[in-house]
Amino acid sequence: MTDSRIIESMKEKRNTGKFIRTWGTLMGFILLFVIFTIIRPDVFPSGRNIRNIIEQVATLAIVASGVTVVMVTGDFDLSVGAIASLVGIVCAMLMEAGINTPVSIFIALLLGTAAGFINGVLVAYGGLSAFVSTLATMTAFGGLSLLLSRGTTIFGLPENFRFLGQGSLGFIPFSVILMVIVLVVVYLMLEQTTYGRRLYAIGGNEEASFLSGINTKKVRLAAFCLSGFFAAVGGVVLTSRLYSAHPQAGSPFMLNAAAAVFLGMTAFRDGEANLWGTLLGVLIMGVMGNGLNILGINTYVQSILTGVIIIMAVLLSSLAKKKA
Amino acid sequence: MTSLEVLKINGLEKSYPGVKVLKGIDLCLGRGEVHGLVGENGAGKSTLIKIVAGVLGADSGRIFIDGNEVQIKSSKDAASAGLCFIHQELNLISYFNAMENIFLGHEYPKKIGPFVDWKDLRKKTVKILTQLDVDIPIDIPVAYLTAVERAMVAIARAFAVEGNIYFMDEPATALTDLEKNKLFKVIGTLKNQGKTIVYVSHNLDDVLNITDKITVMRDGMVVESRDSSGMDKDSLISAMIGRNLKSAFPEKAGKAGDVVFKAEHLSNKNVHDLCFEVKAGEILGIGGLVGAGRTELLESIFGMESLSDGEMMLNGEKFTPKSPSEAISKGVVLVPEERRKQGIVLSRSIYENISMMSLRQLSKAGFLAHRKLKEQVETAGSKVKLKTSDYTNHVGTLSGGNQQKVVFAKTVMNRPGLLMLDEPSKGVDVGARFEIYTIIRELAEQGAAVLLVSSDFNEMLGLADRIVFLKEGRQVFVKENDNMDQERYLNYCYGRDI
Repeated sequence: MTDSRIIESMKEKRNTGKFIRTWGTLMGFILLFVIFTIIRPDVFPSGRNIRNIIEQVATLAIVASGVTVVMVTGDFDLSVGAIASLVGIVCAMLMEAGINTPVSIFIALLLGTAAGFINGVLVAYGGLSAFVSTLATMTAFGGLSLLLSRGTTIFGLPENFRFLGQGSLGFIPFSVILMVIVLVVVYLMLEQTTYGRRLYAIGGNEEASFLSGINTKKVRLAAFCLSGFFAAVGGVVLTSRLYSAHPQAGSPFMLNAAAAVFLGMTAFRDGEANLWGTLLGVLIMGVMGNGLNILGINTYVQSILTGVIIIMAVLLSSLAKKKA
Repeated sequence: MTSLEVLKINGLEKSYPGVKVLKGIDLCLGRGEVHGLVGENGAGKSTLIKIVAGVLGADSGRIFIDGNEVQIKSSKDAASAGLCFIHQELNLISYFNAMENIFLGHEYPKKIGPFVDWKDLRKKTVKILTQLDVDIPIDIPVAYLTAVERAMVAIARAFAVEGNIYFMDEPATALTDLEKNKLFKVIGTLKNQGKTIVYVSHNLDDVLNITDKITVMRDGMVVESRDSSGMDKDSLISAMIGRNLKSAFPEKAGKAGDVVFKAEHLSNKNVHDLCFEVKAGEILGIGGLVGAGRTELLESIFGMESLSDGEMMLNGEKFTPKSPSEAISKGVVLVPEERRKQGIVLSRSIYENISMMSLRQLSKAGFLAHRKLKEQVETAGSKVKLKTSDYTNHVGTLSGGNQQKVVFAKTVMNRPGLLMLDEPSKGVDVGARFEIYTIIRELAEQGAAVLLVSSDFNEMLGLADRIVFLKEGRQVFVKENDNMDQERYLNYCYGRDI
C-alpha cells in the first residue's frame, strides 16, 4: 500500500469509528424495534401499542430530562426517585385534606424544587460529592415519605386530578403532551440559552469556567433545583396515573433515569449528556420493557437485559472511541 | 568521531492530536560524553526523553544502542537497555521514604521468596547517597524533606541500578549551588567511567560548562549539534529561538496613558505590602523566582483571594472584587498559567470557548444571539490571528499555540482595561509565540494596561516596559526595563541591587 492509501484507509476507519459512536445507539434502538416487530408483527408495531409505550415512558422522560441537566455539569442525582415519591405523597395528602387540586400540585412542585435546592446547596456550596449528598437525601426523603404516609398507599384522590396522568387531548394522552413540552423546554434551555452554555462549560472544565467569570456554584445549584422540579412533575403525573400515592412509587425513577442518561451519553455526542440521547435511552428502555412483556418474559429477566444493554452500549461506544 | 557511538536515534517522530511535537529527530551520543540538550519550552526535549525512556511511544523512527536496533516499549525495556533517567517532574511518592522512592519500580533486594531485605535496601541506599555525597534522612516520608532533599532523592533514583547512559532532564532546577556542584562532580565521575550523560537544561551557563557536545532543538527538530567548545551563549540562544533575540520582540510603546490600576499596600496571606501602578498602554512585568508570589498577586487582583490589608484602585475607583466574575465585569481579565486546566474547555467548540466570558453581552433575555455571537467571536479570533477553518471545531483539536490564542480571544472580547498574563507562552511553539508577543503589544497599544508574569527571562525582558520585583511575597524593587540583561534581572530577582 502506498502512503496515501494507508492514510485514506486510516481515515475511513476513523470515520467508521465516529459513525458508530454517533449513531450506534440509535441503530441499536432500531434493531430492537425491528426484532420485536418480526417476532410479533401483529401486536408490537400497532399504533395502539406504540401509543402505549410512549405513554408508559412519559413520566420517566420528564424525570430523566431533569437528571440530564445535572449530568451535563458532570454531577449526578440519585434522589429523583425519592423526590418523586415524596412529592406524590404530599400532593395526595394535601388534596385529601381538602385543598384544591391546582394549589396542591403547585405546592408539590415547590416542594420538589426545594428538595433539589437542598441537594444543590450541599454539592455546590457544601463541597460534598454529588454522589454522597444525593444518596443521603435520597435516604432521608424516602424515610420522610414513609413517615408521612405511615407506609401505606393513599387512595381516594379527587376526580379532577385524574386528567394529568390518564386524560388525553383527542388521541394523544395528556402526559405525552406534557413530556413533549418538557423536552422542548429543556432542549431550548440546554442548547439555546446562556445558562445551557454555562452548564456544558462547567461539565467540560469547571476551573476554566470559574476563571472565565461563570458563577459555577449558582449554575450547579440551579441545575439541582431543575432536577428536583422535573422529578416533582414526574411524581405528580405518576400519582395521577396510578390515581393513588405510594411512598415508594417513584423509586424505579432513580436507576431508570440514570440508565437513560448514560445510554444517551453514548449517542449523538462523544460521552456528553444530551437531551436527544436521553430521550433515546428512555425509548430503548420503554420498547424493551414493552416488547418483553408482549413476549411474556418475566420482569426479572427484563432487569437483567437492561443491565446488559447498558454495558454493551457503553462498551461499544468506548471501543469505537479507542479505534478512532 | 573520536568516541564510539553508544546511542543513535534516527528519524524519530511524534504527534499529539493537532500538533506534531517531534519532526524527525536524529541524535548521536558517544561513549564517555556529556551531551547537552537545549531548546525553548515546547521544543520537544522532554517528549524526546520520554520516548527513549519508554514512557511515550513514538509514531516512527528507530533507536540503536551499540549499533543494534532496540524497541523501547516500557520503562522496563529502557532499564534493561542500560538507560537511566532523571525526569523533569520529581514523581516521588510523598508518603514513602527515600529508600523506597529510590528503588521504586526496580527490584527490591529480597531475602527468601517475596520478602524484602530491608537491611540490604538500606545499605544500597546509603551507598548511592554517599556516592552523591549528600546526607538525607532516609527513614521518614519524603513529604517531610526539603525541596532540595527531594530533588536529590529524585536524582538518586537514576543510580538505583547500574546504567550506561544517564538522561538528566533539568536535574538542577531545585538545587542550590552546593548540591549542583556535587551533582556535577558525580557527572564527572560517570564520564571518567566511560558512561554517557545527556544533560537537559535551560541554564545555558551550566550546559556550556559541563558538556562536551551540545544539541539544540527547536520546534521539534534538531537545528544544531556540535562540540560545545565552539559555542557561546549568544549563538546558543539564537539557535534556540531561530532568530536574533533583539528582533524577536515587537517595538516597545512610546507613550503610556492614564493610570489604570494601582495597588496600595496590597497584602494578603501570600503577598505583603505591594505598591505599584500600571498605566494604559504599558506592560508591567512582575519579576521574581518561583514561589515569589507572582501568580498569587494576579489571583488577588482577579478576586480569588481577599485582601488582609491595603487596597486596589481601578481607574481611580476603589476596586474590591470578590470573584473572577466580578473582576471580569469591571474589565479585569486573566490569561491563566495552566491552559488546559484553567483556560479552555477542550470538549467544546471554539465559538463556545471564545464567547464564554461574554455570554451576557451576547444574549437577549438569556437566549443566545447567534448572529451577533458569531460575528464578534470571529472578529476576536482574527484579531489574535487564530488559524482555523471552522469555529465549530473542538478546541482540543487545535495546536497549543492556537489554543492559547483562543484564550486570548476570549479574554479580549470585551476590550479589557487590565489584562493579566500568567506565563502567556507556556507550551506554545516558537512560531506562534512571536505572534502572541505581537498580540500582547497590540492590545497594550489599544489602551489595555498589561500585567505580565513569566519565568522565561527573554520573554520578560523583551516585553516588559517596567518590572516590579517580588521576593518571598514582598516587593523589593521597581525598575525600568532599559535594556536590562539576564544577569541584572536575576540579581534583582534574588534581591541584590547592582
